[in-house]
Amino acid sequence: MFAQIIAVIKMNLLSLPGRIGSSLTTLLAVAIVVTVLLAFMAMGEGFQKTMEGSGSDEVAIMLRGGSQAELNSGLEGDTLNIVSVAPGIAKNENGPIVSGELYVVVDGTKRSSQTEANLPLRGIGTAGFALRENIKLVEGRMFEPGKTEIIVGTSILSQFDGFELGKTLRFGTTEWTVVGVFDAGGSVFGSELLTDVRAVQTQFNRGNSYQSIRVKLEDEKALDKLKDYIANEPRLNLDVNTEKAYYSEQSKDMAILINMGWGLAIFMALGALAGALNTMYTSVESKAVEIATLRAIGYKTTAAFIGTLVESLVIAVLGGILGTLIAFLLFDGISTSTMGGSFTQVVFDFNVSANAFKNGIILAFFIGLVGGFFPALRAARLPVVLAFRS
Amino acid sequence: MNLLTLIRKNLTRNKLRLTLNCFAIFIAFMLFGSLGAIKNAFESGVEVAAADRLMVVNKINFTQSLPLAYVNKIRSIEGVKHASWANWFGGYYQEPRNQLMTFAVDPESYFLVYDDLTIPEQELSNWLKDRQGILIGERIATARGWKVGDRIPVSSNIFSQENGSSTWEFNISGIFRPKNPQTDTSYTLIHYKYFMETQIWGGDWIGWVPLNTEDPALNEQVIKAIDSMFANSAAETETATEAQFSKAFIEQVGDIGFIIMSVVLSAFFTILLIVGNSMWQSIRERTNEIAVLKTIGFTAHKVFSMILAESFLLAFTGGLLGLLAAWALVIAIAPLTQSFLPALVMGKSVFFAGVVYILVLGFITGILPAWQAMKLNTIDALNRR
Amino acid sequence: MSNNNLFELKNIAKRFTKGKETITIFDNLCMDITSEHFIAIMGPSGSGKTTLLNMLGGVDRPTSGDIIYEGKAIQSLSENALASWRAANIGFIFQFYNLMPMLTAAQNVELPLLLKKLSRSERKKKIDAALTLVGLADRAKHKPDELSGGQQQRVAIARAIVSDPKLLLCDEPTGDLDRTTATEVLQTLQLLNQEFGKTVVMVTHDPAAAEFANLQLHLDKGEFIEQHKSESAA
Repeated sequence: MFAQIIAVIKMNLLSLPGRIGSSLTTLLAVAIVVTVLLAFMAMGEGFQKTMEGSGSDEVAIMLRGGSQAELNSGLEGDTLNIVSVAPGIAKNENGPIVSGELYVVVDGTKRSSQTEANLPLRGIGTAGFALRENIKLVEGRMFEPGKTEIIVGTSILSQFDGFELGKTLRFGTTEWTVVGVFDAGGSVFGSELLTDVRAVQTQFNRGNSYQSIRVKLEDEKALDKLKDYIANEPRLNLDVNTEKAYYSEQSKDMAILINMGWGLAIFMALGALAGALNTMYTSVESKAVEIATLRAIGYKTTAAFIGTLVESLVIAVLGGILGTLIAFLLFDGISTSTMGGSFTQVVFDFNVSANAFKNGIILAFFIGLVGGFFPALRAARLPVVLAFRS
Repeated sequence: MNLLTLIRKNLTRNKLRLTLNCFAIFIAFMLFGSLGAIKNAFESGVEVAAADRLMVVNKINFTQSLPLAYVNKIRSIEGVKHASWANWFGGYYQEPRNQLMTFAVDPESYFLVYDDLTIPEQELSNWLKDRQGILIGERIATARGWKVGDRIPVSSNIFSQENGSSTWEFNISGIFRPKNPQTDTSYTLIHYKYFMETQIWGGDWIGWVPLNTEDPALNEQVIKAIDSMFANSAAETETATEAQFSKAFIEQVGDIGFIIMSVVLSAFFTILLIVGNSMWQSIRERTNEIAVLKTIGFTAHKVFSMILAESFLLAFTGGLLGLLAAWALVIAIAPLTQSFLPALVMGKSVFFAGVVYILVLGFITGILPAWQAMKLNTIDALNRR
Repeated sequence: MSNNNLFELKNIAKRFTKGKETITIFDNLCMDITSEHFIAIMGPSGSGKTTLLNMLGGVDRPTSGDIIYEGKAIQSLSENALASWRAANIGFIFQFYNLMPMLTAAQNVELPLLLKKLSRSERKKKIDAALTLVGLADRAKHKPDELSGGQQQRVAIARAIVSDPKLLLCDEPTGDLDRTTATEVLQTLQLLNQEFGKTVVMVTHDPAAAEFANLQLHLDKGEFIEQHKSESAA
């Protein structure tokens, strides 16, 4: 039986070049469908990778209750003092690791479209760097506290004009100088401009207010201690979360991209399926006499069935591989930016992951399976007498 | 029977192949229609932007505020017809997820600037009298089933009142409607003064100044006059046409138009391959019949046009069905996308673009087989058996 | 030139090149076809029978020489002009009938009429007449696969005569039929020749079929080697 199947598969595959046009059409169609799916997955997963790589489990972020995003939040200066003495916060030689932060949205010019886009100018406290261990200065120097000096993330440099080292920026009446460039290990922080929080408070007339407070947690239980403390402190109305959870929440919206990719790919796959069915029915018709002849000399219907199915699967899976290859060459690593959850631009790289690759091949496999199944049934049911007709 | 019957009979002889091809084309045009509608919805802000309307925002970024005093200064500039102001309220209804776009505006001047909106005289004067009044856009009224006279709670995720609550109660005074159906009305308007007095931050600051000019030709001049008037002040301005402003805003999300066009083109290319290949096969199988037609006196041109007509007929059958399905699909999903894509409708422009694409598809898939049939050597074909 | 001649073939040469070889089918063939004759052309395969028929029907052209139809040389007409000429003057009958499988008998017969400006009722009248003549008026609504081989060939004959051409060109019209059915088809052709004045040129390798013609020509290696008038024919 196995030998029969092998024989039929061999016959089918060897006859493929005879129908090269039709087979290539289906192969290409499957490839395009897979490419579209992978493009969307690469976009969505790339964004998620950036967001999820951003937050730390050991850092808690606090916002005004109900504000959801930093941009909407607002905290009085006192809040920082009250939070500083809360339990569960890790300490170093300067005391509790706490950073009151405030950011304003400023315009940057997007390289790709030459239109203006929102960028965050974030003021951080002195403990800000102790809370961001993945940030490394790669060029220039650190900003000096109280001065209108900025360090910029490498992601900003790659996607926006005008933030090169040494450049002067004007926001309102104040001039700011870019004194350093930092790398944030592909995290969302790379899409930010950082400076001292006092400079932002002063230059943008924000008094001593903050938007968020970040603290370093002592251990795994520290978050609950912190939450308890805040819940029982009547002067505080704060939402507390780990930074990791905060950024994963923001990346959830981008899951829609992956879903959209699937939606589009499935619709397109239905179109490609029509092509696959057409190709395989034609293939069966063109080999009808050969199949009938094999049946006449004693081959089983199963052999005819599996032979046709395998032919279809081979075409579709080859198409799937080609599609992933195209997607990988075209999209992997492409940098782009979009509006993130904080109403500012997030720079991220398209990421064609192993998971996406797997999904692409699965989709191709299904097209091949369904596209081969019905023609294979027809092949199996071909009347043997066909072999005796001229 | 006439020639068209013959073409139709040729097309329908292989029912399975016809079904598969029609289905593939159907899918492509359903994608085209619905994605086209989505693309338009994203870009509708640019398309329906009034030519004479300008937006003045803080030069640092449009989320930064401007002093209220700017409005009168702007009104005094030559070429400015009306100017108004607005503030972002960050509203939602009951649940933070349930966003309700709300602007705190100057009631007296708002509709002078947004003269592409209409509101019944009576409802407008009721709103002017009621500080707690809210005007809702037609789309909101339709989507949520709200009526004039309803009392609704609107919460803000930015502002809160002195009593600590971040929820305000409003009375629906009226419903404003667009003159052009593509214009977005999925937002609500509240009194600026009422908002300023009740929230705790206070201050005479505003979000942005919308204005219209006496004539679109004056736009450049007015933009320069405004921006130079506030140059070197603490709050410098950046003035742009409404269209530019909307476009820049969409670009922030990404090049959606490009992404959508890429998907549509890949879908088309796929379908082109599939249908073109299938047409080619079907003509090859018919070689003998085409030779017979030529022998009994059908000219090469006639054979050519018949095959081409057949592929057009196929493209139109699948394509029009696909566009129809897209139209129905868009109507079905429009209520679900209300919150982030308010202007989702499949307009005439998408339909006509679709028809053009149908023609292109019919032509490309038919031209080679038709050419092949035209050039077919009758003697070879007939003697092949 | 005799006024009775429908076709005159003058010094026809026909050569093919196959790879580097040149194959000569006719070198210097001359032939007259008299109006209202029924001619059978016989000969072994490769003798040039079908090529000759194709040239008469204007689907193939001689390498040199003239093919004169009713006093006009047709070999230099354009493809489109030839197609219209065929539509007006020639009816073709093939060995394998060549009917369109998706059309009914009546629709198949109607095909040549689509090339003429005729009203629906005029077309209907002609189709009925043609089908009645071949004895298949009751099968008008049947598709080819619902008809026997002989019936299919008679539909093909109806298609050939429906636009009332002067000349019928038949390529092995009985080659795929059994003896009885073949006789019916040949009798129909004879009837068309004798009662309706159609000129018939039939290529066949079946001597029994050739007996129905009033003139039998034997072709070998591109030349007519003998001819004789049939006894059975009137």
